[in-house]
Amino acid sequence: MATSENSNSNNGTGGGCNPGKLPEASRLIGEWLSGSITPADFDLLQTMLRDCSEVRRMLREEVNLEQVLRENASVTADLKAWSPEGLPDHDGEGEAAVMPFPGQDAKSRSKKYWISWAAAASLAVLLSAGTFLWGGRHALSKDLVQEETNRGCAILTHVVNAEWLDDDNSRRTGDTVNSGMLKLACGFAQVEFFSGATLLMEGDAELEIVSPWEAICHSGKVRVRVPPPARGFLLHAPGMKLVDLGTEFGVQVNPEDLSSEVHVFEGEVEAHPNNQELISLKEGMGLYKEGNKVAPLPGVRPDDFMGLERLDAITATRAKARYDAWATWKKDMCGDERLVVYFPFERQGKWQRMIGNGCNPCNPDRNGGVVGARWTQGRWPMKDALEFKRPGDRVRLRIDGEYEALTLTCWVKVDGLDRKFNALLLTDGYDAGEPHWQITQDGKMMFSIAYPDDEHPEVKRNQVHYSPVVFNRSNIGRWHQLAVTYDNCSGEAIQFVDGKEVSREVSPLYQPGRKIVYGACELGNWGLPLQDHQFPVRNLNGCMDEFAIYQIALAGDELKKIYEASKPE
Amino acid sequence: MSSDASAAPAPPEHYETFVRLFVHHEGRLRGFLRTLVRDWDDVDEVMQETSLVAWRKFSQFDPDTNFMAWAAAIARFEALKHLRKQSRDRLVFNDDILDLLAEESLEEVDSLERHRSALGKCLEKLDSRQKELLQLAYQPGVKFHEVAAQAGKSAQAFYKTIQRMRAALLQCAEKQMQAEAAT
Repeated sequence: MATSENSNSNNGTGGGCNPGKLPEASRLIGEWLSGSITPADFDLLQTMLRDCSEVRRMLREEVNLEQVLRENASVTADLKAWSPEGLPDHDGEGEAAVMPFPGQDAKSRSKKYWISWAAAASLAVLLSAGTFLWGGRHALSKDLVQEETNRGCAILTHVVNAEWLDDDNSRRTGDTVNSGMLKLACGFAQVEFFSGATLLMEGDAELEIVSPWEAICHSGKVRVRVPPPARGFLLHAPGMKLVDLGTEFGVQVNPEDLSSEVHVFEGEVEAHPNNQELISLKEGMGLYKEGNKVAPLPGVRPDDFMGLERLDAITATRAKARYDAWATWKKDMCGDERLVVYFPFERQGKWQRMIGNGCNPCNPDRNGGVVGARWTQGRWPMKDALEFKRPGDRVRLRIDGEYEALTLTCWVKVDGLDRKFNALLLTDGYDAGEPHWQITQDGKMMFSIAYPDDEHPEVKRNQVHYSPVVFNRSNIGRWHQLAVTYDNCSGEAIQFVDGKEVSREVSPLYQPGRKIVYGACELGNWGLPLQDHQFPVRNLNGCMDEFAIYQIALAGDELKKIYEASKPE
Repeated sequence: MSSDASAAPAPPEHYETFVRLFVHHEGRLRGFLRTLVRDWDDVDEVMQETSLVAWRKFSQFDPDTNFMAWAAAIARFEALKHLRKQSRDRLVFNDDILDLLAEESLEEVDSLERHRSALGKCLEKLDSRQKELLQLAYQPGVKFHEVAAQAGKSAQAFYKTIQRMRAALLQCAEKQMQAEAAT
């Protein structure tokens, strides 16, 4: 608190305002902005600010500068995230080094997009206010709506036994959903809207997502739960609009005659049938609508609608069955003599920092050491995984020997592609015969082997292979099986995602018969970056469940089998 | 449309006007807030509240008056509320200084805006390497000292480089403003 000061408060430039002190004031302001100022210096800065308008002006200008720099950086960062295709395909390991950001280009675009970006940001903030805003949504400029759609409207948080009829038949738990149609033939899907509303749809059902605040039930059964922050969530049924005032309710639409029923299980819903007055439905009340007829329901039937708790129970049972099947499969799999190392990622103790090589018989020299990474839930609630988040997180291991071929497989949940290169398996350094396996920031898998030219070390001769883009905004955050095979006889590198081949090629720099070696290496990080490398920081942001290295290149159908035996759902 | 009895919001057709005004002044408001609170995370939080309150009260805003002054008054109040909620820590200035800074910031809204646009022009003049460094140092969600640690070089050296660039940018902006004032 303010204690009595030794000099009087003075708004002018006299008193303690000595021009010789300005450089010091500048330093203190810098330290204050970066959060590194000491308590004593902070007191000194306060005194200077109190006494000297010039120092206050400096502070305002420094803050102004910092604000401009941050705006600029966030716009560029935002653009990077939005347009992975827009940046040059620079790998830093392959061809000559160029700057990753063509400044002019990014700049000119950043200007253009700045307004809509900022507007979308404040829009997101405003939308969380809750009620009454959808009316204005349509009035917004096209840019705003565009941004909002790109950001997605909801997340699929549970998908059980589902078969989808719409274009995107591969929807899975963890997917982000944009506005558009969800056609569920059978099974259940839980949709969590970004507004906070949760909707459970039960196949056969058709749901159209309009925005984080609005959806249309065209047919089938849905159950909606709206917590207070999502009050005002809007659900349309044919000829009727339902405004949720913080509650739980069910809607059933019969696609034959477009009749619909509303059941309010808790709280209150406002029903707006076409051309008719608003009807307020309280807990235990229901409404039947067919054509222009509207009638109260004699009673609600909560058990007719799948509840979130029941879905949880079904999900848990299924997860247990999948886990058990995997555990049985694993017993055979770990005896495979072609395995070099196999990490099932099963934690024994609460604070276990060693991960066992699960090959049977086991070579304990190939156990891994966990650094930083923490244990978390894997593909199923009863299965462990390691989470890599911070720049220091990694698993260290050492693999001896020389190899003619390899298969690398792992289950990974990528939470973000923060780095130019995001490590799966990297050897320390990058010497002759050493493989590097990583994901690029634009969502491609990248497999490479170093074969430097000893006579011309400045010429990069590494074999580098990229897959097409496999990670994008809508599929990160869910479990995928990644694999790559390579053998030095054919020179072919083949990459797989979820058991499916995504790329196959022979590098133009391939020469037959060159050995593959590992030595000291790391999962999820780069232990010993090359000196002066442009992109030394490569920590993975995500979780790893299973990891295996084989000494042969497994065939595609065998990888497909492994995928089927170990997939989460 | 739902009835919201607690507040009397502006009609939805005013929403676009509001967003436009708010976005237009957002940068200035953020700079204004940064002088009042502890760090940029706090600025984000207070900005959220400010935008909500401003929209709720938008029906009371007189379009013939200065939006920045109106919004800054709200922002200032929200900042004080925010500071009161947290235990005041050592990086928050005393109330008398906060008052001085807030008053003067409002008086100087126009010149600070010219300063911002001058800084923008000066940023354009940097070469791509310098731009990239600044981009690294000020990317969202990242603390300065973390970037310095990641940059590989000593944190001290990184910090100094950035400070030099900042000083150069401020100088450039000053010249730019003088030149503009002269024409």
